[in-house]
Amino acid sequence: MNAHLLRRRAATLVLAAVALLTAAVPSVADDARDPAPRGSAPTARTAAPVPTGPSTPAVPAAGRAAYATIEGTGSTWSKIMVDQWIADVDSSGIRVVYSGGGSTKGRRDFALNTNDFAISEIPFQGTDEDGNADTSNGREFAYLPIVAGGTAFTYQLKVGNEQVKNLRLSGETIAKIFTNQITMWNDPAIQADNNGRGFPAIPITPVVRSDGSGTTAQLTTWLDKAYPSHWRPYFGKSGLTSYYPRKGRMIGQSGSDQVMSTIKAATGNGTIGYVEYSYPREAGYPVVKVLNKAGYYVEPTEYNTAVALTKARINTTDKNNPSTYLTQILDGVYTNADPRAYPISSYSYMIIPTGAGDRRLDSTAKRQTLADFMYYSLCGGQDKAGDYGYSPLPLNLVQAGFEQLAKLKKADPAVVLDNRDVTTCANPTFDGTNPNKNVLAEKAPMPASCDKQGAGPCGTETGTGEPSTDDPAAPSTDGAGPGTGTGQDGGGTGAPGTGPGGAGQDAPGGGAAPEQVDPETGAVVGTADAGGATSVDEIYATSTLVDDRPMDARTFGWVAVVELLALVLVPGIVVSVLRRRRREGQVAR
Amino acid sequence: MTPRTPRSRRRPLALLGALLLAALLLAVPNGAEGRAAADPGAPGAPAGGYEKTRTLTRTFVDAQGQPVVDSTYDVTVSADQTTDLRGRQRVEVSWSGARPSAGRASNPYGVGGLQQEYPVVVLQCRGRDDATLPLDQQLRPETCWTSAYAQRSQVQKSIAVESTWTKDLYADPTDKQRVSGMEPLPDATLCPTADTEGFATHLTEFVTAAGKVFPACDAEQMPPEAAVGGAFPPAEVAAFTDLDGNGSVQFEVRSNVENESLGCSHEVDCSIVVLPIVGLSCDQEAAEPTRLDRECRSSGVFGAGSSNFTNLGAAQAVSPSLWWAASNWRHRFTIPITFGLPPSVCDVLDSRSPVGFYGSELLAQAALQWAPAYCLDEKRFKFELNQMSDVAGFTLMQEGRAPAAVVSSEHERTGGPVGYAPTALTGFGIGYVVDRPDNAGEFTDLRLTPRLIAKLLTQSYLGSDLGRGHPGMADNPLAIVEDPEFQALNRGLSTNAQEAAATLLALSDDSDVIQQLTEYIAQDRAAMAFVKGKPDESGMVVNPSYRGIELPRAEWPLLDTYVPETQDVCRTANPAVYFNQLAAPVTRLRQVAEAVLDGWPNVQTRCERDPATGRDKTGRVDQQSYGSRFMLGIVSLGDAARYGLRVARLQTGPGTFVAPTERSLGAAIGISEQAGPRRPFALDQADVVRNRQAYPGTMVVYTAAKTRGLEKDLAADVASFIRIATTEGQRQGSANGRLPGGFVPIRATGPTAKLLTSAREVAAAIEAQTPKPAEPTEEPDVDGGTPPPGQAPAEEDLTPPADPVPSAAPTAAAPTEVVAEVDAEVAPTAATASESSGLAGALFPALLGVGLLALAGTVGSRFFVRPPRSLS
Repeated sequence: MNAHLLRRRAATLVLAAVALLTAAVPSVADDARDPAPRGSAPTARTAAPVPTGPSTPAVPAAGRAAYATIEGTGSTWSKIMVDQWIADVDSSGIRVVYSGGGSTKGRRDFALNTNDFAISEIPFQGTDEDGNADTSNGREFAYLPIVAGGTAFTYQLKVGNEQVKNLRLSGETIAKIFTNQITMWNDPAIQADNNGRGFPAIPITPVVRSDGSGTTAQLTTWLDKAYPSHWRPYFGKSGLTSYYPRKGRMIGQSGSDQVMSTIKAATGNGTIGYVEYSYPREAGYPVVKVLNKAGYYVEPTEYNTAVALTKARINTTDKNNPSTYLTQILDGVYTNADPRAYPISSYSYMIIPTGAGDRRLDSTAKRQTLADFMYYSLCGGQDKAGDYGYSPLPLNLVQAGFEQLAKLKKADPAVVLDNRDVTTCANPTFDGTNPNKNVLAEKAPMPASCDKQGAGPCGTETGTGEPSTDDPAAPSTDGAGPGTGTGQDGGGTGAPGTGPGGAGQDAPGGGAAPEQVDPETGAVVGTADAGGATSVDEIYATSTLVDDRPMDARTFGWVAVVELLALVLVPGIVVSVLRRRRREGQVAR
Repeated sequence: MTPRTPRSRRRPLALLGALLLAALLLAVPNGAEGRAAADPGAPGAPAGGYEKTRTLTRTFVDAQGQPVVDSTYDVTVSADQTTDLRGRQRVEVSWSGARPSAGRASNPYGVGGLQQEYPVVVLQCRGRDDATLPLDQQLRPETCWTSAYAQRSQVQKSIAVESTWTKDLYADPTDKQRVSGMEPLPDATLCPTADTEGFATHLTEFVTAAGKVFPACDAEQMPPEAAVGGAFPPAEVAAFTDLDGNGSVQFEVRSNVENESLGCSHEVDCSIVVLPIVGLSCDQEAAEPTRLDRECRSSGVFGAGSSNFTNLGAAQAVSPSLWWAASNWRHRFTIPITFGLPPSVCDVLDSRSPVGFYGSELLAQAALQWAPAYCLDEKRFKFELNQMSDVAGFTLMQEGRAPAAVVSSEHERTGGPVGYAPTALTGFGIGYVVDRPDNAGEFTDLRLTPRLIAKLLTQSYLGSDLGRGHPGMADNPLAIVEDPEFQALNRGLSTNAQEAAATLLALSDDSDVIQQLTEYIAQDRAAMAFVKGKPDESGMVVNPSYRGIELPRAEWPLLDTYVPETQDVCRTANPAVYFNQLAAPVTRLRQVAEAVLDGWPNVQTRCERDPATGRDKTGRVDQQSYGSRFMLGIVSLGDAARYGLRVARLQTGPGTFVAPTERSLGAAIGISEQAGPRRPFALDQADVVRNRQAYPGTMVVYTAAKTRGLEKDLAADVASFIRIATTEGQRQGSANGRLPGGFVPIRATGPTAKLLTSAREVAAAIEAQTPKPAEPTEEPDVDGGTPPPGQAPAEEDLTPPADPVPSAAPTAAAPTEVVAEVDAEVAPTAATASESSGLAGALFPALLGVGLLALAGTVGSRFFVRPPRSLS
């Protein structure tokens, strides 16, 4: 299944629904360039004029809302995504400046009134590690989830001269690595995770963040919740921290970029660090497949993250308590029993100022800028999350996000929020009939059988965004030739079709693993067990056999080169020698 | 081949190139915006400059009541453009005849510039300097923007020493009171410190465009845009005048989008106010001159031309702090400016699914201007550029997850045929910010050779004493400024080494830019000899970690392993590879451009232990000080033009250095060669150097899309984008849909004509979506004009089967509709397997062919074709 096209189609359907609802304008006839077959779903282009035409909001005569530049600081975990959104809205005249700096800085700047918004993976903590206040300092605010993602473990590990690209680790092993209990790559625990494949006897160098970081907070929350017996003695107390307690061989680096560079460097062999999945994807670097509750080693693709987060508990108990409302409780994510779930998945949050008298976000133009930036980000902007190594938000969180945005209008009635709601969203995870359902999580392919504990490991590369699966109909397979084109049509209409069927599930609350996908996936897993054929031949992580020694590789390499040269040159030399002889013979004669 | 220029003419041409550099890259978009719509195609003449001369006098009234002229200056102020400005556009303001400044601050902008003497204060103010206008349209100190309260108000100053404004000869009597300025004085709840017995205060409140008044008595009582550490650094500046009385500044104007409180727009007139500080004129002095009398008459504490790096206190009477005082304010030059109509923009509510183009950041600035030209047209689609590495974009396109990729070179194909449509002509450069010593202003003609770039990239400069312990290169210079090769080319620069001068800020991930930059190095014999280990003339050697590194390559690796041994408690606790911290590459070209713009290297060598918490602060070093900046980074030409960054000239032959200009980019396209139909134009760096006039950083940005297997409506959108981008998208200007600075227009005539032809051809092929031929007879075609293989013996790419329907599918002539209909009936059973098996069968003869060609190559034939980039 082709993800991009499917999304377009999903978006189209949402649009089509809107078109039907408003029933305002008959869909514009196909233009000359688009002799699309009548039977297919209307294209986005033809449907487009509907929402924009009659329902243009009351904006100034210039035809648009007045905007003024807003500025934010905070998380580098979500920065790659936010930066792209900022580039996207520029064409709408919306100017946003986001300079990262880490979640801790973002929250602090917010409290000091020096930004218009902050982005953070964790809420205000009340008191930070040093006993200083970590609050909004009286500034009124609301949390707004903006994007989901997986905190990935990226690494550099070489066997001989080959870089390992399919490493698997259990959470337990990771916890021990980041608490200096497992310090060598040939540790039996790592070998067990990789179904008996051993790695060289080189020390493990964890790379951690040296600045106040939400990524660190996410990691340590998970360590504290899932592996307290390892984490708490190491940390000396319980709970999360934004400043990783660096000990021993660990290297501290400031910002996700620098963590990634350190791991990629020539000195990086043996390193492992934690960053949002987008960083290794951009760098073309592998990530650890982490063992989940169901016994599969999985990668934080957009699908696996979406599946995992169906068990995130979003605090909705008190809408009037900004310090808890919409915050995430991830315990259920860590233990999600779905075979596709990536355990260390989470959401990133924007902290927006909601006070009518906010000292900084103090004008209609700025509030409108923030509102429209978020409108785009929560809707259309989610569409590309997967391309960048993130995962789109489910509809219910987008809806909640819009409710938070409404507070901007409450603070300033001149803010225009008309037509900015989920019905105008082109978001791939949406199912208009059931806001609690994440379409992406439903179409997420089952992990390949070689990813199962005790099997494999799969030879496929990680860090590419491609799902590791045996499912031939999995989203975003390559080579979408004309053949798969027809298949997409079925899939595209099929996905929303399953919508009403899944109405029973409420993803954030309890809900079970989506059952309706079971038949399909069950069958798939079955066939895969027999063959495991679709997985590429193992080429990366082989056990350290004798013939893997670099010395040997070099020797054989030279032999091969010499042989190749001989193969190429000898015929020519022979011919020329023969000719010369013949010529000499002629001369002599 | 372009005709060669006679040798005698080359040097003048190089000079001409340098001048054109200024024209192409430094010229900020000319304010053609408003007019552009009415007069398409007109490049727009420089709009309304400004020049004025005034006599500025400092006068002291002596104890007898006689005015005595202390000093007089005939100052001329000029500005290059004043009309139709855009937000963040830079206006060059220059002056002559001013009093030389003293005590240069490390950062003259905003509050950082206060401790200087005799600077020229440049401010943006709302209103016009016209007493006949209604008050709310008049320019006053209260409508002038400053980003800190200390720049406009004097709060709780010692009466005896620091209240010199009360002695101002020209001050209104009310302003000579102990507490003056804003009337009525804000009450103590707002400004508790304003009226403190025994201290003097003057408040210059700020009045916003909406009429709101901020008393400016402390940081809390300033408009929100004035936050410390805001995203837009302060634009107002206390600029330095050199010893000859000259100076200039690129003054960044802000529209109401950037600064809503100031509120300048096409509807609200504003001005740039230039205040050359010559010192306060003073009231009659007491018979026994008081301390304050003397302070008012101070001629400063710093010597002319000196620096004040440690931010010592300047003499108040000659500092910029009192720019609002009557003595100074009456000396103002007021440059009226107008802002252009803001371009119409896309509607955020437009819920059409965008058509995403994935890849190269080189196109970013053009994409920003192009996007509204698509979304605003209902017949078009919503265009979106998703920036990522070229290879990542190409992979998404190949996998069918993106309709099109945006790349700058040929990439390894894993699926069906791909067409590369030339879309924009631009490139990259080595951006720099370099200050000349002794506050003599910025250096404007940096010249670099391939070997110097190789030295920077291979991290062969030591950076600081921390790098000296690195084995095998202990005698190398600390930084490029110490390198005789650099010094010979760039005379008159400070030779004081700093860490940032030991590195070139580059990209961490795979990029076509890095590929081409390293090709430029690879063609140079001296550079490659250095990389392979040969010392240069002064004995400098390559960092052993990079010795013999294979070039060219698309990703620059961090290969060093040296961890310095030091007594420093923080570094001992945080051991790190020093040279990696120096290099600290980033993921986006934009980050590099911003670092150069701010003079803020990305060097990550900072390591300080906070004694209070015991926590170590590691990370990026501080922003550089004005007057001693030195920073180099790889930037896109689009960003360089947008931000007004200077770009180095690159050597293309002994004594020849080429700047990126329309002409030098055109020359490069002139010698580039297309590898085959619908494939990219390869620029052989050896040819560039031989040509001498071509710019080595020239890059064509291609829209790459499948010519088979792409969904039809997407294919139509991509084809339409290519056609629009190469026609109306090539008209220069700053309006919607126009081509911004840093790009060279692709035209139907001249060297770029072949790009246009190819673009049309590819657009047709993409729209047509030619199905795979029924019988793929894919024998390696020996005589079919196959281009010779490149240098590297890459696997099967040696034979270029880029398009399995080569000459059979005639290009522009083929009516697209016909082919499109064929598409419908093709059985979707394309199997790529047969292709590769055919290749495998032909591998042996192909290898033999390679051998023969390699033999022929040694005789001297040159190969033009660059091997397609591999995917890893």
